[in-house]
Amino acid sequence: MDTQFIGEHLAPGKLGHFFAILSFVMALFSAFTYWRAAATENKNADSSRSWQLLGRNGFILHVAGTAGVFITLFYIIQNHLFEYHYAWRHSDLSLSPKYLLSCFWEGQEGSFLLWSIWHCVLGLIVMFTAKGLESRVMTVISIVQVALASMLLGFYLGPDIKIGSDPFILLRIQMQDAPIFSQPNYLDFIKDGNGLNVLLQNYWMVIHPPILFLGFASTLIPFAYTIAALWKGEYKQWLKPAQVWSLFAGGILGTGIMMGGAWAYESLTFGGYWAWDPVENASLVPWLLLVAGLHTLIVFKATGRSFIITVILMSLMYLFVWYSTFLTRTGVLGDTSVHAFTDEGKALYWHLLFVLGSLKLLALLLIIVRWKSFPRVKTEEAVNSREFWMFIGSFILLLSAIQISITTSIPVWSPLAKAITGKDVAPPTDVVKHYNDIQVWVAIIITLLTATILYLRFKTSDNKTVLKRLGITAGIAAVLSAIMAYTQRIGDARYIVLLFGSSYTIIGMIYYAIKVQKGQLKKLGAASTHLGFGIFILGVLFSSYNKEVMSINTMGVMMDFGKKNASENARESMENVLLYKNTPVVMGEYTAIFKGDSTSPDDPRVFYKVAYERRDTTTNKVIESFTLYPDAFINPKGQEENSMSPNPDSKHYLTRDIFTYVTKAYDPKAKTTDDTSQYKTHRVHQGDTVFTNDGYIIYAGLNTNLPSNAYDKQPADIAVQAVLLAYDMKGPVDTLYPLYYIRDQYAYQIDDTLKTNSLYARIGNIIPDDKAIELKIKQSENEDDYIVMKALIFPYINLVWLGVIIMALGFFLAMLNRITKKEKAAARAI
Amino acid sequence: MKRTHIILLILVAAAVTIIVSMFGDFSTYETFASAAKEPGKQYHVIGYLDNSKPFDYNPQIDPNHCTFYVKDKAGNVNKVIFNGAKPTDIEKSEQIVMTGSMQGDAFRCHKIQMKCPSKYQNDQVAIGNAS
Repeated sequence: MDTQFIGEHLAPGKLGHFFAILSFVMALFSAFTYWRAAATENKNADSSRSWQLLGRNGFILHVAGTAGVFITLFYIIQNHLFEYHYAWRHSDLSLSPKYLLSCFWEGQEGSFLLWSIWHCVLGLIVMFTAKGLESRVMTVISIVQVALASMLLGFYLGPDIKIGSDPFILLRIQMQDAPIFSQPNYLDFIKDGNGLNVLLQNYWMVIHPPILFLGFASTLIPFAYTIAALWKGEYKQWLKPAQVWSLFAGGILGTGIMMGGAWAYESLTFGGYWAWDPVENASLVPWLLLVAGLHTLIVFKATGRSFIITVILMSLMYLFVWYSTFLTRTGVLGDTSVHAFTDEGKALYWHLLFVLGSLKLLALLLIIVRWKSFPRVKTEEAVNSREFWMFIGSFILLLSAIQISITTSIPVWSPLAKAITGKDVAPPTDVVKHYNDIQVWVAIIITLLTATILYLRFKTSDNKTVLKRLGITAGIAAVLSAIMAYTQRIGDARYIVLLFGSSYTIIGMIYYAIKVQKGQLKKLGAASTHLGFGIFILGVLFSSYNKEVMSINTMGVMMDFGKKNASENARESMENVLLYKNTPVVMGEYTAIFKGDSTSPDDPRVFYKVAYERRDTTTNKVIESFTLYPDAFINPKGQEENSMSPNPDSKHYLTRDIFTYVTKAYDPKAKTTDDTSQYKTHRVHQGDTVFTNDGYIIYAGLNTNLPSNAYDKQPADIAVQAVLLAYDMKGPVDTLYPLYYIRDQYAYQIDDTLKTNSLYARIGNIIPDDKAIELKIKQSENEDDYIVMKALIFPYINLVWLGVIIMALGFFLAMLNRITKKEKAAARAI
Repeated sequence: MKRTHIILLILVAAAVTIIVSMFGDFSTYETFASAAKEPGKQYHVIGYLDNSKPFDYNPQIDPNHCTFYVKDKAGNVNKVIFNGAKPTDIEKSEQIVMTGSMQGDAFRCHKIQMKCPSKYQNDQVAIGNAS
């Protein structure tokens, strides 16, 4: 095409594409040279040294290239260069600066880029700390970087095969078919971008994806060390770094996952922090495998056992990281996920399958080749040893991961099942119950094992001490859990056992920290992680088991949902409640009043003001009152009229949260439309009642003795006033005085209105013969004055967050402890 | 045989039992006709909203009640009752997946998932005139 386009900034795109190619080529170069360095290090130290130097420089250049891509793309988004498809698609002029980075993780290219950037950072750290293992570990890291960098290439091999997707593609190239792009000045017409998905415009979405991607990226390092160990059959040197990096990855990935939970809780409306959604499961499975692998690694380090399972878990863990990318990025999940990402087409599907297959082949081949050289211990482990139970715990985690994967992967294997059985398999109708019913047993076993294992020693333990400690812990835990089960009204036997399990863990960890580790901070890693785990499980138990829907609608039709009893059926069908403006509605022990909505010019959201009051049942005095502002994006850009994307608002107490969100509201823009309601005429006698939409009116009679300020009166007028007593559902509201007068033989009316109830009253005519009047009443539809709302109570949800924080701290304490120990060992060596 | 091996075998056996029993939990995708064969049993039905028929949702009467018509994959149109607020943008959905059961002549569902032609899937250029 020879058209000269006006106003385009082509330099950043060209530069960016150059960086992308540099990054890819240098990753290849680094992988090759590091591989040569590793291959020659035993035979020819000098040659190996020079290969290694090349590898280092290659990797540094690769880092520079990747950083260049990142900075260029950021520049394009920041400067709103909408000639670039990525900027146009994922941002707009009104985007506030703090969300600029969020544009990266909305698109596929940006997410791969972010992932790659973290690998670069971690790779540089590994480069300077891996010492003798550097060449091998860096080879693995570089190979993975080749895979990631290829995702950003956007090269065509023939007309149909495309490798990667170029983030710097121009809008007019991406959408060649649109006629507008044949005009040289097309940019004059493209004033604004499509904008960022409103769900991502949330502070959790600024922090959660980078942490989660760091977590994903850091799982590469223990995997790389495992491969490095298998490569040459050296099973000692890798242990410490693999353990440190596993702890790091476990802490970060766990935090990242639960930050996603916090985001879901604060800004999604599925009413909770965890929904067993495929996207959530996809990140949970690698974490479970990592934690299992970390434990067997510790067993191997201490006793020389469990090597094979460690290698398998570490490899599987990393394969599942890529598998989860495959699940969430290629659209295979289709209908089953609420927030599966966009379908990016066949190219990515095969690309990811290729990477997954290659990594699997690499791990599998190494395991087969090295199988005979794997360290094994002939004797049996003792039943009273730590390693025995730790192995079983890890195996349970593996089984748990397998179960989650099977159900999550239904869309992947259902075509196969259909071919064999003819049935079109769908996920369970109640997904949450399905997972909970199975995973509760995993949680029970793990909590029971946790404290028990830490009381035991490696190899063999003193039965008497252990049993005494276990007895004390179990005793306290039993009493505690009995009290909690009673006060929290937990009736289900499984959950009572889980309650005991988590109390057992909590008590056990506190006891262990004080009695065994004597409260030395740096040794408290394990105790803290497991304590956090116990608290977390306790929080999950309370907040889910006693989660309560406050907004039960008692009007309307009840449906049979096959639940056990009527109240559960009611709950199922009536979780939304309608609030008219200024009309109080009782919800549980609270009364909620919708006070109106508000907007502000620099925020695209509409805020709905809902006032809550709690009154003492006997004195009727207000004990507490607060206001929540659930909000919603109304008509977000790119979506059509009348759509909304709500965000919840919560009142946080120490012991519970009151969680509120709007499920439906009027469109404030439609508010100005004409009032379509009509006056209705009623012929009434004194004392008659007229019903209105939300109450009734009593016609109390005519009043001829008007107050002087009633209207602009002239001496010759004949004027009367009707006295109308207006009532709503609760009682008298106000009195209305519509006016009727005759002046110069013409009749005039003056309406009276009751604003709060949108009520208009007018005297149509006076019929003296019948002693009646024609009363005209109009009540505008409350169409524009209501919200439909859902309110939930989450008891003790703070325990969930507290547990996560303590758990994460534990991971880092343990990691620091490992690192400083290493330094001590090094110092001793000197 | 080592003790660990015995325990592993028990665990694996337990896991296999759980996984096999778990398949009973899995639902299937059905049509209205096949779901009607077992009224009251929960199924997934995939279909398309029939926009030629009215969509009834009146929050002022009952905020948890929607009635509409869906054409399933076999091409049959059936009445659907959904207990909940009207899902945003359902009129524009390309496809909906409903979880529920046939009760009488209506399919009563408690969960709806929609595939929407969102802005991320089809690129619609918003054109503003040059001023």
